[in-house]
Amino acid sequence: MPAPRTETEPALAGLWRVVVLNDPVNLMSYVVLVFRKVFGFDEPTARRHMLEVHEQGRSVVWTGLREKAEAYVFTLQQWHLTAVLEPDETR
Amino acid sequence: MKRVEVKLSLPVVAPLLDLIKRMVDELGGRLAAPHQVQDLDEELNAAWKGELLDGQNEDCRRFLALFDREFFASGTVAFDDNNAESVLRACAAIRLRLRDRELRGITDEAIEGGSVDVTGLGETAQRSFMCYVFLATLQELIIQHLDSAILGG
Repeated sequence: MPAPRTETEPALAGLWRVVVLNDPVNLMSYVVLVFRKVFGFDEPTARRHMLEVHEQGRSVVWTGLREKAEAYVFTLQQWHLTAVLEPDETR
Repeated sequence: MKRVEVKLSLPVVAPLLDLIKRMVDELGGRLAAPHQVQDLDEELNAAWKGELLDGQNEDCRRFLALFDREFFASGTVAFDDNNAESVLRACAAIRLRLRDRELRGITDEAIEGGSVDVTGLGETAQRSFMCYVFLATLQELIIQHLDSAILGG
């Protein structure tokens, strides 16, 4: 993925969520496989997130520091899932 | 290395290849899935998109390489650890493009729920939908037989 930033930007500090949004095209089995591959989820966890995406339109699949969150979003986008970053404002 | 050979029906698949190649050509300069990242500066955004595009193009190139002289002689394509991920991603990209470009008239509910009334589609859309289903079938085959190779890689 693109080289990370070289300086800390205050606006990007804090925790960020990696959110996967539903699309009507990608197969459920494909989404489960991608979640297992990218995050190392076991099958039931990957399936739970996939169903959340399918039924509720979105699932928060990871929360943490911005740089790693960006890496996850990039990888999910390589697999053609619609993934976005959101600041975690719950903490 | 696990290898899966699939014998395809040449009379069914060969006519779909022109459409697949056209979708790949259209994808040459655009991403199949929406790309949006909050608070990304312009330079990083361009680099990000560029890397995604390079990967997408390479995956599509490897996918099209399946349909070589051997395929037209025997109808056989082969998947293994080396090409399974690329083919999976390329199929996803081409399916997304088909949906955006050729299957716009079908509702999300119908396409997601598998309740598309094929007989109600025009000839062009029918071919596009056949292609869409064919690519999904390849994905299912790879996931069924090579998932451990993909997860281990």
